Amino acid sequence: MIKVTGLTLDLGERRVLEHLSFQVARGESVALVGPNGSGKTSVLRCILGLLPYSGKITVAGHDAWREPVAARTLVGYLPQRSAFGDSTALETLRFTARLRGLDPRRSLAALERVGLAKVAHERARTFSGGMQQRLALAAALLSDPPVLLFDEPTASLDRAGQKSFLALAAGLRGEGRTLVLASHRAEEIDQLADRVLELDFGRLLPEREDSTVVPLFAQGAVS
Amino acid sequence: MRLRETSLIAAREIREALRSRWFAAAAASFLVLALGLSWLGLAGAQRSGLAGFDRTTAALLNLALLFVPLIALSLGGLGIAGELEDGSLAVLLANPVTRAEVFFGKYLGMVGAVSAAVVAGFGLAGVVVGVLAGGGEVRPFLLLVALTLLLAAAMLAVGTLISVATRSRARAVGAAFAAWLALVYLCDLGAIGLAIARALSPGQVFALALVNPVEQARVLGTLALTNRPEVLGPAGLFGADHFGPLGLQLLLVGALVTWSLASLAAGWSLFRKAVVS
Repeated sequence: MIKVTGLTLDLGERRVLEHLSFQVARGESVALVGPNGSGKTSVLRCILGLLPYSGKITVAGHDAWREPVAARTLVGYLPQRSAFGDSTALETLRFTARLRGLDPRRSLAALERVGLAKVAHERARTFSGGMQQRLALAAALLSDPPVLLFDEPTASLDRAGQKSFLALAAGLRGEGRTLVLASHRAEEIDQLADRVLELDFGRLLPEREDSTVVPLFAQGAVS
Repeated sequence: MRLRETSLIAAREIREALRSRWFAAAAASFLVLALGLSWLGLAGAQRSGLAGFDRTTAALLNLALLFVPLIALSLGGLGIAGELEDGSLAVLLANPVTRAEVFFGKYLGMVGAVSAAVVAGFGLAGVVVGVLAGGGEVRPFLLLVALTLLLAAAMLAVGTLISVATRSRARAVGAAFAAWLALVYLCDLGAIGLAIARALSPGQVFALALVNPVEQARVLGTLALTNRPEVLGPAGLFGADHFGPLGLQLLLVGALVTWSLASLAAGWSLFRKAVVS
């Protein structure tokens, strides 16, 4: 579903990603782990075509840089930090629905799904971090995309929020979606990932036979 | 670039601009000043016997040359830099839209928002003058509105270029204010100083005027009001002699459009490969 070949990213003088190559099969769930600054978020942003990289990334055969519309149509993205300008929660989702060619009337149902229906007409700017994250999740799931990219999805959630998010994400995984998750939280990785890719200062380390997160604790790659 | 997606982004930009407290305050100030100037112009007209529209248009030209670049440069400056900084641009670009649709959609939306403020301010002023005074020619007034929209489009394009180049809200606002100061005051003073110090010919002074979009709008506005190039001094006469009155106006309109297109092209060349984080 996702094929990354020779991905290299330079930001200014700094090389952020160094010749990464990996594939994520349809329905597979992969966690990108590594310490802060190892390049996890950058990989996701390259898949979305947000960063000018060299190498090649395809999503279901569509080049992420040259065919961004075709590639992003298949992808739902949950960023680490969400921002929605001055719009209300409902306006945000209606706008997303229209951009994705969907019926905007499904927006309210999407808000209900993440428990934000009561604040549908409030400005998203005024929401707590957890509420903004839930709104971002509703936007990511609005078009029912086959590929999900989650960037530290529970970082701004409280304990109850984390648990409910993990239950929701586990359900999504069960529906056969392809998931790429950037995280350093052991619980998330354990529950959501079939496979772990370790990044270290922009380089991909050889994959381990043992795909559990236990050995990663020792290295400080997860917490 | 798809029209539907570009319009959706433009419509959102208009809605967000009109909701922004800063923009609302700036637009309200413009409206109040336009009304105030019209009122004062009207009072003076009644005393001096001058027709209402003529006098008011002259007063509004100066307001437009001062205020519209300030609003447009600031709004344009914040347009992309603000969304880059708070992360909402990444959220927007994660949708199935191209960078071109986002860039030009945002620009067109900002043009729409500033146009709404200009038309509201001038429209209300026009109604006040038309109802209370009548008389005078409406054509120069309408030309002034069109000219102001053209100037706003050029300044928004410069603001958008600043926004993409600076990438941060604080730097963008600083650079936009510096650009406003330079275009509205410093270029004018610099041109006068240069003309005196280097004893420039009228042709050279005329060429200097073509460099600054605010100056282009000033000359165009003055011509629309008076239709007498001699009031612009030797440089105005030079322009009228060489290009004819209509040719001069077309040249100035072309220069303003070129400013918009060149700034947009420069902004787009930076944005198409910009790091969005």
